[in-house]
Amino acid sequence: MAGPVADIREISGSDLISALHLAQQAPAILGQESGSRVSSSNSSETADYYARLEQLLLACLRTGDDQSAHTCLNRLSLRFGPSNERIMGLRGLYEEATAKDQSALERCLQEYDNTLAQSPVNVPILKRRVALLRSLNRPSDAISGLIQLLDAIPTDAEAWCELADLYQSQGLGSQAIFSLEEALLIAPNSWNIHSRLGEVLYICASGGDASQLLGRSVQHFSRSIELCDDYLRGFYGLTLVSQQIINGDSFHSNPGCPQASTRMLDNDYAGVSGQLPKKTLERLKAFALVKLGEIVESRSMDDQHWASSRSELIAAKELLNRQSNIQAA
Amino acid sequence: MAIQGAEQTILRDPALFYWILFPISIVMILTGILRHYATVLMNTTPKSPSTLAESRERLALLRGVNLRNNACSVLDRESFEMRKNYMVTGFRNGAFLKDPNNRGQPPANPMTDPAGMEAMMGMLKGNMMMMIPQTLIMSWINAFFSGFVICINELTDFAVKLPFPLTIRFKSMLQSGVMTRDLDVQWVSSLSWYFLNLMGLQSVFGFILGSDNAASQMAQQMGMANPAAMVNPLQPGQDPDKLYLNEAENLEVMEHFCILDGVEERILQNFAPAGI
Repeated sequence: MAGPVADIREISGSDLISALHLAQQAPAILGQESGSRVSSSNSSETADYYARLEQLLLACLRTGDDQSAHTCLNRLSLRFGPSNERIMGLRGLYEEATAKDQSALERCLQEYDNTLAQSPVNVPILKRRVALLRSLNRPSDAISGLIQLLDAIPTDAEAWCELADLYQSQGLGSQAIFSLEEALLIAPNSWNIHSRLGEVLYICASGGDASQLLGRSVQHFSRSIELCDDYLRGFYGLTLVSQQIINGDSFHSNPGCPQASTRMLDNDYAGVSGQLPKKTLERLKAFALVKLGEIVESRSMDDQHWASSRSELIAAKELLNRQSNIQAA
Repeated sequence: MAIQGAEQTILRDPALFYWILFPISIVMILTGILRHYATVLMNTTPKSPSTLAESRERLALLRGVNLRNNACSVLDRESFEMRKNYMVTGFRNGAFLKDPNNRGQPPANPMTDPAGMEAMMGMLKGNMMMMIPQTLIMSWINAFFSGFVICINELTDFAVKLPFPLTIRFKSMLQSGVMTRDLDVQWVSSLSWYFLNLMGLQSVFGFILGSDNAASQMAQQMGMANPAAMVNPLQPGQDPDKLYLNEAENLEVMEHFCILDGVEERILQNFAPAGI
């Protein structure tokens, strides 16, 4: 029993490959546990067992093994009762995943609304409703639902991140930045959110107030690196942003663009808050590139272990290639 | 005072060792287990808010605290000022209250308010689960063992002798209920053995019942659908408005600084290899 259990612990379940691995173990887990569950009296072990069942349910749904998913769901609701909020959320998820057509999804939505009319603070159902609205391609409804949820529960970092993502998908950059900042206020040391905020700032910077946003973007990427010193996305972003600022400056100081260059001179460039001296930016970029190279090298060796982030690795390689081409040219 | 160096001997039936020491320990362990399960059984999960407004009333305070604690590691000055103003005005106006119209009125009496009553009941139950068995067992030991023992010999109240010497300070701890000043500290009375068990059996329970209170954890595991939504910083009978005003004041005097300032230099200094 120790073997597969240890394996499942390592799998995050957030990417398809590991979800598939987990779902393939479904018959083993479901078959073996039904016998041993009664005898295992250690309470922490059974708590683990139910947490594992929940993971398995999600993995099975993602990989299309609806049969096993249904078994998992039944076991969970047998233990915790069908009126448990979390079970209701999981059941809703199952219904959505196995819905045949649009009208079935609409029915799910109707059901969520009915449930919420009875118990308005059923958080899993509230979240399912938002997710369903999003998958029904009604993002503005999803956003308003999420805002309603966050108004009542402003300490839910997950919901803030989802809201940021929704805003981002609608092209509302500054709202997305605000939401991510709220999420960070709840979890100030999460390097992935810092890095995500850096990304959103970088994307927004193509619009109006570019230099300030880019400066903040550098700060957040740097902070995410400070918190986790081999975070690939952080280094990747830092490379891009510092590149962008350096390029932008050379563009601005270009005599072909007099307006911009005078503005820069007026500001007394290095003194403005949030602006970094060019030398620091060059160093940051060089540092990020060196680190990226190291990370790519070490993770390519250990391919199996980093399978979940393979796409990130490919993107990083691509960036490194481009950089070396530029330098060669 | 005991004569130093001279070994104190008390004439006593060796069977006392088995008939006092073990029964007390076993009874203590059994009651401990019983109490654990009774607590699990009577444990009520904290009541989740029934309306969205109620949930907001509870969590707005946490949001203020979060802002105060974490602003320095996330926000720049501009967005901090914006949030601070929003929170302070909200707290001052009572915008986060469940029903802003009731503002300023004295809070409902916790004895008549059903929600407050429930919370008080929970606390009462918890205390009772500790108090009642302890009182019962202690009086049982006091009545049963000292009475029984004294019948045989005036001094064989003492059940066990510790195998190592102790200082005189331990006398009150080890020989409670016995009024002999001259007795060596190494002798332990039955009542004291009970107290020692009471304090010292925690790890034994941990071994038998699993770490801490795993059973109660599992019962709540699924109930805690969203821990963030379940937290209730408000005690029953507390006026949220007062807490809000307090928090608004805390926010207002807060000085802003940001650890993101200079983070670029910092990572270059701390993480970058030499030569970059």
